[in-house]
Amino acid sequence: MSSFSVKNVNQIFGTGTAEVHVLHDVNFEAEPGTLSLIMGPSGSGKSTFLSIVGGLLTPTSGTVEVNGISYNERSKKERDALRLDSIGFVLQAYHLLPYLTVADQFKLVDKIKPQGNLSREALTDVLETLGIKDLLNKYPSELSGGQQQRVAIARALYPDPAIILADEPTAALDSTRVAVIGKLLKDLAVKHHKAVVVVTHDGRLVDSADRLYEMKDGYLTKSTSEVSR
Amino acid sequence: MFLALKEIKKEKFRSGLIVAMIVLIGYLIFILTSLALGLAQQNTDAINSWDAKQITLNSNANVDMRQSFLTKKQVGHLSKQEALIGETSVVAKAKSHKQLSAVFLGLNNNQFVYQNLNLVDGHRVTNSHELVVDTAFKQEGYKLGSQFKLNGDNHKYMIVGFIKNAKLNIAPVVYGQMNDWKSLRAITVGPVGSAVVSRDANYKNNANGAKTYTKQQVVDKLPGYQAQNSTFILMIGFLMVISLIIIAVFLYILTMQKLPNYAVLRAQGVPSKVLVGATISQSVLLVVSGLIVATLFTVITAWIIPANVPMAFDIPVLGGVGVGLLVMAMIGGLIPIKSVVSVDPVSVIGG
Repeated sequence: MSSFSVKNVNQIFGTGTAEVHVLHDVNFEAEPGTLSLIMGPSGSGKSTFLSIVGGLLTPTSGTVEVNGISYNERSKKERDALRLDSIGFVLQAYHLLPYLTVADQFKLVDKIKPQGNLSREALTDVLETLGIKDLLNKYPSELSGGQQQRVAIARALYPDPAIILADEPTAALDSTRVAVIGKLLKDLAVKHHKAVVVVTHDGRLVDSADRLYEMKDGYLTKSTSEVSR
Repeated sequence: MFLALKEIKKEKFRSGLIVAMIVLIGYLIFILTSLALGLAQQNTDAINSWDAKQITLNSNANVDMRQSFLTKKQVGHLSKQEALIGETSVVAKAKSHKQLSAVFLGLNNNQFVYQNLNLVDGHRVTNSHELVVDTAFKQEGYKLGSQFKLNGDNHKYMIVGFIKNAKLNIAPVVYGQMNDWKSLRAITVGPVGSAVVSRDANYKNNANGAKTYTKQQVVDKLPGYQAQNSTFILMIGFLMVISLIIIAVFLYILTMQKLPNYAVLRAQGVPSKVLVGATISQSVLLVVSGLIVATLFTVITAWIIPANVPMAFDIPVLGGVGVGLLVMAMIGGLIPIKSVVSVDPVSVIGG
């Protein structure tokens, strides 16, 4: 059973001469235990695809089903709740709240979603894996870009979501860290049975992917399958 | 609240600036309110102390007790609920003291205003040329037994009692006998008093040339009273609006800076109400902090301010003003809410 599926999704922005057809009949499925990598150049529609899959944007046509229920059947409040409970966004623009320490970033999640988050031990494991365990009392302004990105990744994983949507998660990281993040995402898919979807330019993540897709001019094509398993 | 507290803790300087603004505005409003109250009280203390509901004056006196004369016929029969008062402006002159402007109020010993005088020292007037005076005289060095002249009257008057908060139109009141009022006004025949005050709300005097007013109508016509109150109300109102604008501007700028962060939180499913709550909590925390400090400053001011400064610190009124400021802050805090609610989480996808 797929965690989510995208069926015949089209996205058109603007009207008349200003009309831009960003996504063309996109079909996609993400299953628990797989890491799907969607690669493509800037402007190819990757971000729009991720916004639609995450329930932030309603497609012009087509449907997106999460756990068998279409977004169209969910209210805005229900979509918020779904993102909070089941979808972890790892964003390129991580924008950590500047007045919260790293520890407080997780406390905020506890305040909003008191149950179902990672245990203290599991969080410690994630922090250790990401190499940010000693940064708990630091404010974002005291961290480097790479450290902030890793904190953002940990924050996205903390609610223990079933689906992880990552937008250029390795943009600010060196190759060593990219390998660590790649392994972490892969472990989340394989060991923790999550559906992980990564959109990126970064070819260094290809080795971590189970399925590789290419997005070009709004068309999503399967580049290869079962890449590294 | 969590987000608001954390932000205030981290951004101490910025929060401190906002709190300092609120302190200054709050303190200014509290002091102006106390001054307005103090002046209003000094205009009406004496009238309020009589517990009068209705006041009869000469119909041509323009609702001004000082300009009013009533004849015996116009006064008519008075019940126990009514008292005759004779008012005139006087200047107290004594060799060892500076001159003091006052309001002389002549009373009849058998009427309720005289009988209800609440003295803090001495006794009521029992003879001609005896006076019960406001404690303002005490602050100028007058004592029980002090003697002085009023206006050009050759007779000396002696203080036999002191009474607190006896002021009319800002001037201290001196209570004496009705005969002395006649003497001061050089009345030999005709008028017997300036006004009839009644504790009966239904009292009406229909005598020719006399007209009955409510106490408030008479108070409102006290010289300068309404102009002064209107000025204070206008200043306090403006300061309230200014406080609203300051809070709104500060919070708007702070909120605009946080919108990208809020967009990420919205993308992660954090409900708008959490972010709205954080913004409103922040404004309430800042304003309450500012008002607490402003209140402390006001208490210290009340403690050290000289007694002759006409300020009255009325806790319910100041509390109401504080609540008013808080409401203004809430309204100011609501202005950036629209931006918070409409933040677009899609904007953070794609970097």
